[in-house]
Amino acid sequence: MSHSFFSAVTKTLRRELQRMKSRPLYFICTVGVMSFCFLFFLTLFSPGQPTAMPIAIVDHDQTPSTRSFIRNLSATQQVKVVMQLNNQAEARKEMQKGNIYAFVEVKHGFTADAIANRRPTIVFYVNDTYLIAGSLLYKDISYMSALASASMQQKVLRAKGVNESQIMGIIQPIISDTHLIGNPWANYGVYLITLLLPGVLQLMVLLMTIFPIGVELKEKTSREWLRTANKSMAAALIGKLLPYTVIFILLGIISNILLYGFMHYPTQAGIGGMFLATIIYILAYQAIGILIIGTLPVLRDSVAMAALYGLFAFTFAGFTFPIEQMPYPVQIFSEIFPIRHYFRIYVNQALHGTSISYSYAYYLIMLAFTLLPALVFYRLKKAAIYMNYPTK
Amino acid sequence: MKKIYLKTRFRHTLTLSIKESFSIFMQECKTVCTDKGVIIIFLIASFMYPILYCSIYKNEVLVDVPVAVVDQSHSKRSAALLRQIDASRDVKITYHCTSLQEARKVFNTRKVHGVIFIPSDFDSKIVAGQQATLAIYCDMSSFLYYKALLTSTSYIILDNSKQIKTERLNAQGITGEAAKMVADPIPYDDIILYNSSMGFASFLMPALLIIFIHQTLFFGIGMLAGTAREENRFHVLVSSKIHRMGIYRIIWGKSLCYFVLYFALSFYTLGLIPRIYNLPHIGNPVDIVYLLIPFLFATIFFSMTFSTFFRNRETGMVLFLFFSLILIFLSGISWPLKNIHGFWRAFGWMFPSTQGIQAYVKINSMGATIREVSFEYISLWIQTGVYFLTTTLTYYWQIKKNKIRFRIRQIKGHKRVLTINNPTKQSDNTADYKSES
Repeated sequence: MSHSFFSAVTKTLRRELQRMKSRPLYFICTVGVMSFCFLFFLTLFSPGQPTAMPIAIVDHDQTPSTRSFIRNLSATQQVKVVMQLNNQAEARKEMQKGNIYAFVEVKHGFTADAIANRRPTIVFYVNDTYLIAGSLLYKDISYMSALASASMQQKVLRAKGVNESQIMGIIQPIISDTHLIGNPWANYGVYLITLLLPGVLQLMVLLMTIFPIGVELKEKTSREWLRTANKSMAAALIGKLLPYTVIFILLGIISNILLYGFMHYPTQAGIGGMFLATIIYILAYQAIGILIIGTLPVLRDSVAMAALYGLFAFTFAGFTFPIEQMPYPVQIFSEIFPIRHYFRIYVNQALHGTSISYSYAYYLIMLAFTLLPALVFYRLKKAAIYMNYPTK
Repeated sequence: MKKIYLKTRFRHTLTLSIKESFSIFMQECKTVCTDKGVIIIFLIASFMYPILYCSIYKNEVLVDVPVAVVDQSHSKRSAALLRQIDASRDVKITYHCTSLQEARKVFNTRKVHGVIFIPSDFDSKIVAGQQATLAIYCDMSSFLYYKALLTSTSYIILDNSKQIKTERLNAQGITGEAAKMVADPIPYDDIILYNSSMGFASFLMPALLIIFIHQTLFFGIGMLAGTAREENRFHVLVSSKIHRMGIYRIIWGKSLCYFVLYFALSFYTLGLIPRIYNLPHIGNPVDIVYLLIPFLFATIFFSMTFSTFFRNRETGMVLFLFFSLILIFLSGISWPLKNIHGFWRAFGWMFPSTQGIQAYVKINSMGATIREVSFEYISLWIQTGVYFLTTTLTYYWQIKKNKIRFRIRQIKGHKRVLTINNPTKQSDNTADYKSES
């Protein structure tokens, strides 16, 4: 029995490999897409943080001291002063054109006021439609303004004869010492790619589970498929999906090596935990793929379903907008996405470096997803035999 | 005599081509309406996706991010500081721990997303006129936690510092206006434009709305072309009635069908949705309509060009679903455009979604007019022209290939021509399968 099962699997496997060779689609949707994404995301975020973001200055004062302020602003890595404009209206136009993300306005008589102790104000405008650029510039410009203020204070206090050791205590009585756990550089690559690549991976795993099965139903070859597997649905599924399991696990491991090895992104608790997570993650998504095509044995419907479910994974992983800040029903919904549990493992293992005991539960939940095909096993078999679903 | 002949002939061709374009238009509308798969993409997806995403991202900003505190100073001042932090919108103190180890344990269970540590010498240092330090530990799993924690703490620390500064200056004999001046010689005003609450939905949703239009059009047209290819209908498109220039009538007829449908749909996606969900919508609707015309045509011709490569109905989606994500990053809405490598920027320029997102966001969220988005507007028209040409070429090539193949089959009297639209032969298998089992 077990011998015949094994031979059924090998026969189906051989048949599937033949099918995979017959169309470029299978290669493109596995190796092709993932290679493109490796290249795209790793090069896109390679600087870690955006640098030299363009801003403008509206300097109504035009004195050496305002110019020195502008020079200081340009000296920071993230800011680049690209234009000097005459008035606010011009600056707003440039902002609407997208040429600058922020502008600083220095009022007329700024230097005179500063000398005369009349507390002149610096006004800066930040465009937060571009959230990343906006918040980084906000941080940088306010920091530079505070610094300008501090250097002014230092001069005044020295002139007043305040003891040097007390000056810093007056300028900045409370210092906050910020520790960014696991990503001390606030690197956007670490923050985004570590989930974007698994995100694309799950999308392709889902589609490349649904498509190879669905296309058999659609082209009415499913009976031949079953016959190759000695009419054993289990053998048919294993033989069919095994090549994809192997390819995707390899791609997943490569992606881990690229991120945590090549790019040196943090893995505080070692890369092994991530390898294990990736393998279970791929199996879980293959299982969900079978569940979808089993429930909706029409290729068109199940691909549309996979599109919905697969694209939502990026939202429900919780790395962009935190899940617990979403409406409550949405929070419950997020649990049915293996990527949510993968994300928790990633945070524990890679970012926070906790012991693996914190993550056992998530590994187990992901593993539980692999039982899902049992629900549709007979339905799928029936669909494969009777082929009684629309093909269009 | 010849002139009149030419004139009537021209008029005849013109009316004929309009008639035929219209008939192809009607035929395509019928195909769209009767294909369940296309309806799912064109109508149901276009209708549902904006609602779903807007509901998920309904909460624009983080509120009451849970944090743990370790207050080893046990002073009035530290307690007051923590009370202020707790009262801020962004942060809520949910755990009071006695040591950093304990706080770390809570942090590791992900019950809190930050830890504020006040050392035992905090109060004594402030009393002694020195610089006091407190430590903040941020969860970096989402940058929004980090932002929430830093925004609220730095604001409150700044506020407390001002008070202490004044006290210390008074101690130095600097009082009144002079103290105010020294404490804050160059105050600054920050004004956040267009998305003043720094909301996540206000930032992401406008871009997603354009992506929805772009991608549903792309996949829908891909599915229609895939179906035509599956059913071997391409050669039928050039019926014997259509003589020269037939290809343009096909392209015009079809694209007009998609355009009319999506022009109407866009009123929902770009007009209604931002108003219902209170996303930014300060742009002039007329400008958005101006933008929509080249954007839709560019997208339609772009999709028609690529659709000819899809062999099956579903191939387009299977191949290019992941590209929706790439398009968002190429658009420069999240990672700043100026920071995208030149190669990827040029690559991104080729897609109508890139220009569409940039221009729509500028008009809709930032109140720009067509003049400010002239770069994107012109780019979209160029794309419309180029993709129209490529559509013509690929259609021509496809139709010719199909015609030749069809003729060869006819000449050879190939049996497959007969069975291709007649799957009865294959379904005979049912009987023999049953007998086998």
